[in-house]
Amino acid sequence: MHNDEPILSGRKRVRRVAIVLSTGSYQREAPTTVLRLAEKLLERGIEVNVWAFEEAVTLTNQDQIEHNEPPSLRPVLGDSHAPVGRFIDQLLRAGLHGAKMDWVTCILCAQERGVEKHQMGGAIVGTLGDLWKFVGGADQVIAIPAYR
Amino acid sequence: MGRLLVVDSRDLTEYAGGRFLPPLVEDLCRQGHDVTLFLVENGVIAARRGATAGLSFEALSDRGAHILADDVSCRSRGIRELASGVCLSDLDCLADKISDGFDNILWY
Repeated sequence: MHNDEPILSGRKRVRRVAIVLSTGSYQREAPTTVLRLAEKLLERGIEVNVWAFEEAVTLTNQDQIEHNEPPSLRPVLGDSHAPVGRFIDQLLRAGLHGAKMDWVTCILCAQERGVEKHQMGGAIVGTLGDLWKFVGGADQVIAIPAYR
Repeated sequence: MGRLLVVDSRDLTEYAGGRFLPPLVEDLCRQGHDVTLFLVENGVIAARRGATAGLSFEALSDRGAHILADDVSCRSRGIRELASGVCLSDLDCLADKISDGFDNILWY
């Protein structure tokens, strides 16, 4: 653990956050909220480790492409709509020059959904052992519940 | 006593479990914990001024709970006026609070 970390009001400053996410692209807002929060944590120099399982393994499907909006909506929404994976890719790249984010996809969930071989560069296909290490090494754990 | 974060991302009236959230926060405050209730996504629906689901927020605030509503979630739902006891906030504030550390985080 981080025994040499500065102490704020008797509490160690958080340096590493683990996020457990099970929601996919087109179910709920949770992935977007998680990525918005992850961006803010990275800006503060906090390492973010995301464990994606169940439908969340489809967020990093590299085959997802921008889809065109209907002509009547283009003046409002623009020409195309980027998948959430684009945001993940940007945050993973941001880690090259600051606090890093690791994104691990559950291998069993990815295999069940046929996306194991379709993960974007930067996403790591891993096991529950990675989740164990993320949680064990985290100063703070955020588990986003699955609900439908 | 502990420093606790409760994040409500669901409409309190959408699921049966939602009605237990305000009493949970109240109990935690009564036990002396420093509790932050952060409303995000559909969780902000109850924070709209006049919503019956958010009538308990003022009492929770009086008990010492810090009740915050995400600005992006409010704007995207056309919520301009918040219930008494609720303060407009954002994910920068949430990230600051998380970086200071909580003893436990419950994400509902």
